[in-house]
Amino acid sequence: MKARVFVYAVLIAYAVISLYPFALMVSGALKDAAEVRLDGHLIPSNPTLATLAHTWNELHFFTYFGNSLLVTGLTTVGVLIVYSLAGYAFAVLRFPGRRLLYGMFLALLFVPGITMLLPVVILQQKLGLIGTFPGIILPFVNGTAPLSIMLLTNSFRTVPAELKESARCDGAGELRTFWSIYLPIGRPALITIALLTAVPTWNEYVLTRVSLSDASRYTLPLALQNLNSSTAPQENVLMAASLIIVIPVIILFVLLQRYFVNGLQGAVKG
Amino acid sequence: MASRFRSREAWTGYVFVLPAVGLFAVMGLYTVGYGLALSFAQWNGFTPQWTWVGFGNYLDLIYRDPAIAPVVQGAALRTLVVMIAVPVLTVLVGFPLAVALNHITRLRAAFRTVFFLPQVTAGIALFYAWTYALQPDGSLNYILRHLGLGSIAQPQGWLGNPSTALPTLIVVMVLGSVPVAMLLYLTGLQSIDQSVVDAARVDGASGLRTMTAIIWPLLLPITGAVVMLNLRYALQDFQTFLLMTNGGPGGHTLVLGLESYNLAFVSGFKPTLGLSSALGWTLFVVALLLAGINLRVLRSRA
Repeated sequence: MKARVFVYAVLIAYAVISLYPFALMVSGALKDAAEVRLDGHLIPSNPTLATLAHTWNELHFFTYFGNSLLVTGLTTVGVLIVYSLAGYAFAVLRFPGRRLLYGMFLALLFVPGITMLLPVVILQQKLGLIGTFPGIILPFVNGTAPLSIMLLTNSFRTVPAELKESARCDGAGELRTFWSIYLPIGRPALITIALLTAVPTWNEYVLTRVSLSDASRYTLPLALQNLNSSTAPQENVLMAASLIIVIPVIILFVLLQRYFVNGLQGAVKG
Repeated sequence: MASRFRSREAWTGYVFVLPAVGLFAVMGLYTVGYGLALSFAQWNGFTPQWTWVGFGNYLDLIYRDPAIAPVVQGAALRTLVVMIAVPVLTVLVGFPLAVALNHITRLRAAFRTVFFLPQVTAGIALFYAWTYALQPDGSLNYILRHLGLGSIAQPQGWLGNPSTALPTLIVVMVLGSVPVAMLLYLTGLQSIDQSVVDAARVDGASGLRTMTAIIWPLLLPITGAVVMLNLRYALQDFQTFLLMTNGGPGGHTLVLGLESYNLAFVSGFKPTLGLSSALGWTLFVVALLLAGINLRVLRSRA
């Protein structure tokens, strides 16, 4: 009995630490400009929704929200299309050079982001893509290659060969077999990858910061940083903006965490 | 007939991997190769020509250039501290948490969800919230003072005091890395054969002894994976540093990744792009060495 109480006490203590920054976002977002400067009171004395409303409206959050959605959405769709095709080829089709290519993709896992960052920006300039959405979406898609290919190839390998054979006998071509047999079976893996792509893309800051310069194309993290570097950053506005960025991720995670958790386990085990 | 079938399958294979390979060739191979070439040159990004310097950039970084080498050496030392502290603390926090979670049935899923939030939301918003908490008048100092722990409170702010800035950032990184470690340990704990644990109990082993003599050794491969993941993370991540302190105060939180970023993007017209590439490639080589050692260790266990 005593042990159980201790265990729950430890878990609750860590839960408090985990929730602490989010509590601060809520608390800061509910304070007005005067109170936020006072002290670190967690409970606002005159809670107000004005800061959130002001942040949402005045700072064109719809534009930035839209930009973030567009970049995240296109990146995720791109990843799903490009790597499910590749995963199918690696799992099902026999062709010379297959192992070598697969190994090359996995090797990309070891290249640190900072090693790629500068050449990617120079390449964007050469291709005339600097400051454009394709300029950041293409490297984002490529960045997920090792994990996506690994998970999808493994998932497609579990499809029994008889299913494919029978589709063949019914006269289905390769694309049709892929579309109507492999994709539906691989759905859990596809959802996992969509999540493992969408969440970091939504949060991505560094590449967008060095690549996007036109403020009308900013994603939410850049818009938030812009707020902070403006003349007099107000903490209540910053916390409101942080909350607006974080809430979609939390909703997505809570709804689909089964896939997220399985994906993380699978990624490390595989 | 059979060979025609084969070759058609091969062609289909190439068509299916073409988008991935094409993207990889441009965004992966080309950029990595370009970065490697640039690491042997001097360039400021504006002049049309590179000046080839061979291994000069690498030598400058390591010892030769009195303006850069000491900075890089300091950053290397701090990176090393982060690379030791983050994996060790992640295991020290993640393992007991997983044991605790494995011990309960009620609310397990709820706790796991809550614990995961700092991992999925890692980014500028979370870092700003922490920065807000850690200010001189921030909520952490406020809480400490009200708990009668005012002596630990940091009047300069936790990120403003050179001696607390790096440890504070390490704690923030660990909070982000514990969830995955905890999840892996939890998976491992659930795969342990209960009869082994029961047998130890029957032999009179205490709970603590069962933990140290049976469960911990069985989970060593997971510890290996956790340490490896976090070594990589500690070596490569500089976003936390860029957003929370940008290397300050006075360079006390400057790490190698951030220094490479600074050499590439905040150097103005100085010809430091080659230096940045050389530093990036040095990090790449260290990452490869770590991966090699990891493979070796995993193999010798199997």
